[in-house]
Amino acid sequence: MTTTTRRTLLGTGAALAATPAIAQARWPVRPVQLLCPWAAGGGTDAVLRIIASLLQRDLGQPFNVINRTGGSGVVGHAAIAAAAPDGYTLGMITAEICMLHWQGLTELTFRNYTPLGLMNNDPPGIQVNNTSPYQNVRALADAIKASRPGQFKASGTGQGGIWHLALAGWLGAMGLRADHVRWVPSNGAAPAMQDLAAGGLDFTTNSVPEARAIIEAGRARSLAVMAPERLSAFPNIPTLKEAMDVDYSTGAWRGVAGPLNMPPAVVSTMDAALKRVFDSTDYKDFLNNRGFGLVYADAAGFGRHLAAADASLGDAMKAAGLARS
Amino acid sequence: MQLSDRITGAVLVSLGAAAAWGGSRLPPVPGQDVGPAAFPLAIGFGLVACGVLIALGIGRGFEAPQEEGPTHSWLSSLRVLVPPLLLFFYALASEALGFLLTAAVMVFVAAIALGARPGSAAILALSTPPLVHLAFYKLLSVPLPAGLLPAPW
Amino acid sequence: MDDLLEAFRLVAATDVLIAIFASAIYGLVVGSLPGLSATMAIALLVPVTFWLSPIAAIATIITASAMAIFSGDLPGALLRIPGTPASAAYTDEAYAMTRKGQAEVALGAGLWFSAIGGIVGTLSLMLLAPMLAEMALSFSTYEYFWLALLGLMCATLVARSSPIKAIASMLLGLLVACVGMENPAGTPRFTFGIPDLLGGIEPIPALVGVFAVSEVVGALASAEPPKLPKRVFGSILAGQWLLTKKYQWQMWRGNFVGIIIGILPGAGADMAAWVSYAMSKKFSKEPEKFGTGHPEGLVEAGASNNASLASGWVPSLLFGIPGDTITAIAIGVLYMKGLNPGPTLFTERASSMYALYIIFILANIIMIPLGLIMIRMASTVLRAPRNLVMPVILLLCAVGAFATGANLFSVMLVAVFGMLGFVMERNGFPVAALVLGIVMGNMLEQNFVASLIKSDSDILPFFERPVSSVLAALTIAALLWPLGVWIFNRLSRSRSTTQPITGGTKP
Repeated sequence: MTTTTRRTLLGTGAALAATPAIAQARWPVRPVQLLCPWAAGGGTDAVLRIIASLLQRDLGQPFNVINRTGGSGVVGHAAIAAAAPDGYTLGMITAEICMLHWQGLTELTFRNYTPLGLMNNDPPGIQVNNTSPYQNVRALADAIKASRPGQFKASGTGQGGIWHLALAGWLGAMGLRADHVRWVPSNGAAPAMQDLAAGGLDFTTNSVPEARAIIEAGRARSLAVMAPERLSAFPNIPTLKEAMDVDYSTGAWRGVAGPLNMPPAVVSTMDAALKRVFDSTDYKDFLNNRGFGLVYADAAGFGRHLAAADASLGDAMKAAGLARS
Repeated sequence: MQLSDRITGAVLVSLGAAAAWGGSRLPPVPGQDVGPAAFPLAIGFGLVACGVLIALGIGRGFEAPQEEGPTHSWLSSLRVLVPPLLLFFYALASEALGFLLTAAVMVFVAAIALGARPGSAAILALSTPPLVHLAFYKLLSVPLPAGLLPAPW
Repeated sequence: MDDLLEAFRLVAATDVLIAIFASAIYGLVVGSLPGLSATMAIALLVPVTFWLSPIAAIATIITASAMAIFSGDLPGALLRIPGTPASAAYTDEAYAMTRKGQAEVALGAGLWFSAIGGIVGTLSLMLLAPMLAEMALSFSTYEYFWLALLGLMCATLVARSSPIKAIASMLLGLLVACVGMENPAGTPRFTFGIPDLLGGIEPIPALVGVFAVSEVVGALASAEPPKLPKRVFGSILAGQWLLTKKYQWQMWRGNFVGIIIGILPGAGADMAAWVSYAMSKKFSKEPEKFGTGHPEGLVEAGASNNASLASGWVPSLLFGIPGDTITAIAIGVLYMKGLNPGPTLFTERASSMYALYIIFILANIIMIPLGLIMIRMASTVLRAPRNLVMPVILLLCAVGAFATGANLFSVMLVAVFGMLGFVMERNGFPVAALVLGIVMGNMLEQNFVASLIKSDSDILPFFERPVSSVLAALTIAALLWPLGVWIFNRLSRSRSTTQPITGGTKP
């Protein structure tokens, strides 16, 4: 073999060997799919779309949101976990991924994903009708403690939903049984808020942004949020810790993730890009306008958050008698 | 596929019984006295009652007389399975074959089954899938699978 | 006043006007294609609205939904395939009119009275929003339960064939609604281990299946019906004025019922159409004509479902509480564009509110000319050979079912419901009642269980609240009425033995 041919061969071989590295370094080179397990127009869909548009601006390739609904989130979450780990199919995972497996509805857990960034967390609030006699959450809590089991009625979402678990966790933190307050299931926060305004419930535990319109209409008020800090969009609402010295917090969170075994270069690129998205004024304005909680964690932090959420939600579910495994 | 009222009534009775049985096996939920079993049970009983009444021919007086179509041979009656089978085909094959191919096959087979001439069927099968693809993929961002024959746009 | 002028200026912006026009055409086309639906049309608009200005974004949703709800009547009348569950209430009636050669009367009625219903509904939104909102907020789970039951009773009231088969169809629909995890108990029911079924069975794949696919199947099973005589469509609107004068009372009743039902979140256009159609038949002087191709029911139900669409925005705009899937999507878009629902929308952003009203009225006005064009174009479908139209419909069913959730399982559901619908129709079981059961099942069970939990399993509170007691009385009356009539007929027949006994009562 002549020298030139050998050099050419070596050169080509080196180039071929380097191609994956080059491709990764340049990721993304084509459009990226972002799967959303929830319906178009909903909260998760809205957050993912704003993230997608900001990522597109940041990384230069189209980021398309595709709604993969069904099975109360299972279908979309399963699709994200089963996607090819080349970094071109990612998605948004939500708190349900830490709840569904406890009910035996899926084998998927947070361990089936590569976390990339926690982008939002909505803590539950405690809302009462505006004619309610309870002016603060301590008064409400005292009344609950004094009531007989099942006398008080609360709602906010369906049976076993995240806000139901919030109630169970709050009652547990107060030393009460998880079912001391009777949970009335509803088809989401909006019907629950309507029933609250119509006088059919004692209080609700859905998030404040979900209650916002009715609160602003003067038909309800929010007594506290179960969060470590006050919400930036609703600074007048105290936290549980401030209002009654009970340190309980939880939330419906949303984050971007991909399947397992993604190339490390892609993970670090996304990690950094999501941080830039979170810090951007567009993102902050969007979430603040909606009242969604501006909470961020990078890839590693998201991983830790997932583990902690899985454990605490599992505890709440077992206490509420909802866990099957 | 006109079945006698006895048969449809019997089907309803068995369906209702199955629903009631399946429902009764659902575990109750803490905090709810009316559990998930209640509705299936109630509906099941209702279906059984309706099935019995229908099998006995009650209420038939209200019915408009059914137009009798020409009787078909068994083989040609199987033609009615073509649309659902084509839909199953779409559901199972579209990811692998891609939208354009699957759609073309669907349209062609359906047209032939409905009695179209092979020529017209072929023209339809070649022209409609690209139009539908254009409208849904380009305009509405619906992720139609590319498969073996990706669209040029 | 300034706000109003500002509102006109906002609407007159070029991008808004283009958005209105484009989404009108989009809504008309998508709503009229069998296999696709209004809800799907709106869901697919969401990515588009992301790039539009706030008023333009909302304009697309408002216009597209108003158009799609009307154009869902088109395939219903021409092919017996309703575009939306709301149209399903009177599809058979409209199709019967087409078979009698009166397609343009049926479609014209749908268009004209839809436009009127939409405008009256918008006026109610503009003038009565606060009062209507108060009404909406006074509805608790007890009221909703009776309302749902009343809605379901309509299936029996409008049944042309055996009422028992209608009830059976409805029960079947309720059973289908039981599938999944979306029940008050949060327990998966009848999912057979299939994860796709955890979320339950959506009404749209079922609707598409039992109507569209079963029509295709029916086409395979029977010979091609005789070609309808080639008629030149007369002026579609001319006859409408006569109809308006003849059925004025029905029209206003339809508008009223539509507005009331529309403002109640969860009870949307579907229910309004059914209740109005049933009312129309119940209070008509010619009830025996219903189902043979009689416009009276179309007048009342057509007005009702469009009126409910407009009034359904009351709880959405005032409280962010969606009336149905479409308004849920619309609320999402409102939030995305910074037009947060709530009182601030009326106070701080009044000009945007007025702009929305203007767009509503504009949409219903341009519905008429665009709808007329649509009707004339759609009539060519009647003349196309069936064996070329049906395959395209089948394809659209597949793509439409897939499109909303990118879920291939929906396509399989459509196939299953197609077979079910075909068998049901051939044996005299009305499929419209099945769809009604699927649509209303969750609402019925949800409110029943929630009410029982709140009353600690006591039945009495179901009748205590004033509105509940009224609705309960109406429902029980609707339930007992046919029974009472039947008993009365039997008694009077046995008393007059000399008169020939008439077996069937309806032709």
